Amino acid sequence: MGTTTPRSPLETPRAVVHLGLREVADGARAARVPVTEVDFQPPAGGDPRRLRQLAELGEPARAEAIEAANRLALERFMQSQPHLVGVGLAREVVPGMADDLFLHAGPPIAWERMSGPLRGAVLGGMLLEGKARDPEEAARLAAGGAVRFEPCHHHQAVGPMAGLITPSMPVWILEDRSPAGGGRRTFCTLNEGLGKVLRYGAYGPEVLERLRFMAAVLAPALAAALQARGPVDLKMLMAQALQMGDEGHNRNRAGTSLLFRELAPALCRTGRSPEATASVLEFIHRNDHFFLNLSMPMAKMMLMATEGIPRASSLSVMARNGTDFGIQLACMPGRWFVGPAMPVRGLYFPGFKEADANPDIGDSAITETSGIGGFCMAAAPAIVQFVGGSPEDALETSRRMGAITVGRNPAFAIPALGFAGAPTLIDVQKVIELSRLPTINTGIAHREPGVGQVGAGLVSPPWECFHQAFEAFVEHARGA
Amino acid sequence: MPESVLVHRGRYHDSAFLMRLSRELSARPGVQEAVVVMGTEMNRELLRGAGFHAPALDTAGPMDLVVAVRASDGKAIEGASRELERLLQAAPTAAPGAAARPGSLVEALRAQPDADLVSVAVPGEYAGHVALAALRAGRHVFLFSNNVPLEDELRLKRLARERGLLVMGPDCGTAILGGVGLGFANRVRRGPVGLVGASGTGLQEVSSLLHQLGSGVSHVLGTGSRDLGAEVGGLMTEAGLELLAGDEGTRVIGLVAKHPAAEVAERLHRVLARLGKPVVVRYLGQPARSSADGVTYTGSLEEAACAAAALVGPATAPALATCPLEDDVRELLSLRPRVEGRLVALFGGGSLAAEAALVLRGQGLEVEEPDRPLGAGAPLPGRAHLVVDTGEDFYTRGKPHPMVDQTVRCGLVRALGAEPGVGLLLLDLVLGDGAHPDPAAELGAAVRSARAAREARGAPPLLVLASVTGTELDPQDANRQRGLLTAAGVHCQASAWRAAVVASALLTGPGGK
Repeated sequence: MGTTTPRSPLETPRAVVHLGLREVADGARAARVPVTEVDFQPPAGGDPRRLRQLAELGEPARAEAIEAANRLALERFMQSQPHLVGVGLAREVVPGMADDLFLHAGPPIAWERMSGPLRGAVLGGMLLEGKARDPEEAARLAAGGAVRFEPCHHHQAVGPMAGLITPSMPVWILEDRSPAGGGRRTFCTLNEGLGKVLRYGAYGPEVLERLRFMAAVLAPALAAALQARGPVDLKMLMAQALQMGDEGHNRNRAGTSLLFRELAPALCRTGRSPEATASVLEFIHRNDHFFLNLSMPMAKMMLMATEGIPRASSLSVMARNGTDFGIQLACMPGRWFVGPAMPVRGLYFPGFKEADANPDIGDSAITETSGIGGFCMAAAPAIVQFVGGSPEDALETSRRMGAITVGRNPAFAIPALGFAGAPTLIDVQKVIELSRLPTINTGIAHREPGVGQVGAGLVSPPWECFHQAFEAFVEHARGA
Repeated sequence: MPESVLVHRGRYHDSAFLMRLSRELSARPGVQEAVVVMGTEMNRELLRGAGFHAPALDTAGPMDLVVAVRASDGKAIEGASRELERLLQAAPTAAPGAAARPGSLVEALRAQPDADLVSVAVPGEYAGHVALAALRAGRHVFLFSNNVPLEDELRLKRLARERGLLVMGPDCGTAILGGVGLGFANRVRRGPVGLVGASGTGLQEVSSLLHQLGSGVSHVLGTGSRDLGAEVGGLMTEAGLELLAGDEGTRVIGLVAKHPAAEVAERLHRVLARLGKPVVVRYLGQPARSSADGVTYTGSLEEAACAAAALVGPATAPALATCPLEDDVRELLSLRPRVEGRLVALFGGGSLAAEAALVLRGQGLEVEEPDRPLGAGAPLPGRAHLVVDTGEDFYTRGKPHPMVDQTVRCGLVRALGAEPGVGLLLLDLVLGDGAHPDPAAELGAAVRSARAAREARGAPPLLVLASVTGTELDPQDANRQRGLLTAAGVHCQASAWRAAVVASALLTGPGGK
């Protein structure tokens, strides 16, 4: 919204924006001045307390300080240069990782409150790490405190769905190569593919076997290829993928293909047998979501650049553990605002229905937090059935999200919106003011451990998170 | 009498739409009262005041639709509920294929970055928020909403002053900016007189009279009714005056306002004297005072219009002069030497009502301005002459303004059929964009019906006087409206002030009292 020098009110207005009782703008219409009518809804749902708080935040001096902080956040976000630099073992590269530590998606949670898919993933992790011989023992040990649980987000990491990271798992290593980035790193596991997979809570033999292949064959090959090739600029890949029909969350086909092109020649030069090389390339080729585990830590890295800016009202984290949904604000990093994870409105695979679905789960909402995923729905017409069917709905979703964000990210341009940048950095003030929650694209996990993915769709965070965060922000803005 | 209160969660509609629903439901047979409102604190209080005490009421929030119906029997209530559902289903939605309306001011300004002005007519408790956002986006604000807290007004106007922006309102009825009318504005010729004012109908009256006098207006800047109060201290009045002082197209400046605080009036005089252009002032409800320093203080809106027109040059088309006041009075007195009984004046324009009360009191007549709504059919209060502003808050709370919807006023007119003690009825008609499309037809019919009722009872005839504020360019066409009134046996006067003067002459008899 450009703040230009106001024209004199005595000049004939070029256009008028009108809110409320229609007849009041009749004179302007009669004079053929274009009148844009707003579909008015009471701010903050008409809640008097919220209105008072919004007025307080709207005091010019305070509002300007907040705006300046948000501009700085957007600037730092855009300056960040996430590059894929390598692959390593979680225990060796993830800060604070320990042999008895399992990382999971979303805000902190104890075993007792974990949902089915997260428990399933933990069981698989126990088996994979050799801490238990069978699922029953694994469950007993997990319940008995044999391992500690902490959020991926507490360790500069993110994980899709259950988001489980155990010490022996290979992880992507991303590094911020911008001068201001200070070599910041983020981490994410490698994507297992679709079907029965650990991240959806499956822990059968085929799941574990695949994870072992990934650690033994896939990861070393990718590490060697990256070493040979040098860092991959992920923002550039993401920008291209957005122009090729991806939104970086539920559709990663283009990103995966682009990554494949980047890695294949280097992989061939690592001196592996043709069969070993082919098995790696095939693994990538068969998994349209391979790139998701790079778009996520990329988003995490850019958002970390916004953390610790006083008065910034933007979100730096949205994450779910299958039981709770948690968000964080850039101005108070590390503090969770938590509410119940919501059911996903979606489409189900044959044989499954809503009753089978677990509530929302995974760190992948970090993509929406960074302006891609559901916020870039307009870039991904191929998956519009998730938002209600028509490409127009997809455009509308991206437009609607533009009203609750701080600004646009020109690095991620959306062709269908006239190459407008992705709506970026969710502003908790605007969410409250417009009573409009972020739209998140997501997969749906079965509620029972061991089954896997049953569908995909759309979800919004619970209001609780935003109300708590807003209250805290009002307090913060007073003190800062 | 059975009643029902239903709360529909999360169904927001704007108040104009809901008023229409309330009216349509109330008109159903057997329904005594139907109120459809959003469940804001104010509206819930309003419903309790109207005798609705259902526990469901306490659970309603500002986004919940509350439907309260009182009716003769359960069947009527049921019918009203069904009709409501039908009307809600028929609520206007964007035509398929049409671009969706922006869901917020920010989105609208993104879609229409050229907008210089944001016009706000949403409920008062939300208006401040929207107006502040508009100012922060660097836009002038026309703030039609009333019931905006004073602290919001102060915050808005201080910020506007700081940023070189104009906040017209809150409770701003009219403005004409560069030839474009907002709110209730008359279509008047462009001309050399610039007006600033805290009175919507006062500004409409002066601008329409200037048009009738062959002159016209450069701009009309409304400031909202509280601008000249001690708290706001004339922030926007001064801003408006400065703008007009610097405007090439403005040769004479007119100021119309209600009761300025004494210290504000004093300070304002110094401001007016320094504008470098002749100024004509009308402080409503106050007699003329001595003029000085190029500032002319007039005694009526008509006098203000005539003085301004005279200042801009040779007397232009003397529309008012050809019809001198004395002729009007003489003509009417020839019909009847003196009106028997009391006067009831039913105004739609608040400033016009105040002016009429001043004229009548000036003639020594005892005038009462009731502080609660008159009920159609209920006996009239007291014995004094009554001057009623049907645009007062207690008439319009939850209902549209009489300039848009004359249901209440016409009801009161018809009720005079059973009031033989009333001999004279005084009315105003305020036209312009946004106003009722054909008010004279409705009022004329109400007058006819009252007269017929009186005739049937053998009551003395009812003399009716009216003024029409507007021009022949208005969508309602002032001439056509006068014609309709005349055909209904209503005597039209050239201005509201004249109508009041004639009324007082008729009440006091030949030669005054």
